[in-house]
Amino acid sequence: MKSEEIYNAWKEWKSQIDIRENFADELMNQIYRYERKKRKPLFNGHRVIELISAHRFVKAGVVTAGAVAGLVRIMFVVYAFLAC
Amino acid sequence: MTQETKVIRQVLQGDIESFRFVVAKYERPIVRMIRNITNNRESCEDIAQDVFFTAYRKLASFDAARSNFSTWLFIIARNKSINALRKKRPLSMSELPQNSDAHNPSDELAEREFFDELDVRLEALPSAQKRAFVLAEFENLSYAEIAQIEGVRIGTIKSRINRAKKELAKTLKEIWCEK
Repeated sequence: MKSEEIYNAWKEWKSQIDIRENFADELMNQIYRYERKKRKPLFNGHRVIELISAHRFVKAGVVTAGAVAGLVRIMFVVYAFLAC
Repeated sequence: MTQETKVIRQVLQGDIESFRFVVAKYERPIVRMIRNITNNRESCEDIAQDVFFTAYRKLASFDAARSNFSTWLFIIARNKSINALRKKRPLSMSELPQNSDAHNPSDELAEREFFDELDVRLEALPSAQKRAFVLAEFENLSYAEIAQIEGVRIGTIKSRINRAKKELAKTLKEIWCEK
């Protein structure tokens, strides 16, 4: 075998390629997932609830904010009652 | 309007499934190019999927007046391959396999040894030389296309390919002399 033949055989060997059968399907699934995610609105009621329940600190923050708002409201009512 | 341009337009108008045509047409050259540049048979298909996914996301930025679609796709593949190589630990000279002293070219095993030897030399080439060589020899791209992919002048590409060929010819000669 001449060196040129070796070189050509190597080139041919390097050009052979086997791609897994589901290559295109996997990719298309990834693209469809991406499109679904892109089309999903950033903020809707369900997503806000999902977001709140997913993080402990967000949950605590929302409860605290609710408690503060309730307390302020009670204070306003008491103040209005005493002012009468 | 070429069929490819038509398909790209369809994809941009929301017909996602048409992108399958692009994948079917280019999956082999893209996977082969990445495999030959990164020399990684395990992850080359994953990198290729990333190339196609990036191409899909950036399809709107493709400008047919500036380049062919295939050139644009090869540019993405080139950049992803470079990133993959950066993450990979470089091969030190001490790790390169030593020459066997029992070469018999008629033997299939010896032929495989030659291939391995050439692979090692290809891997040891400077990155830019290797990329130019792979695109020219395995993908049969023109110098002009390679220059566009690499973002350099045609003369630079010619010189990179010549140097790579000389280096590999030297290796072939060494193998042949050892016979």
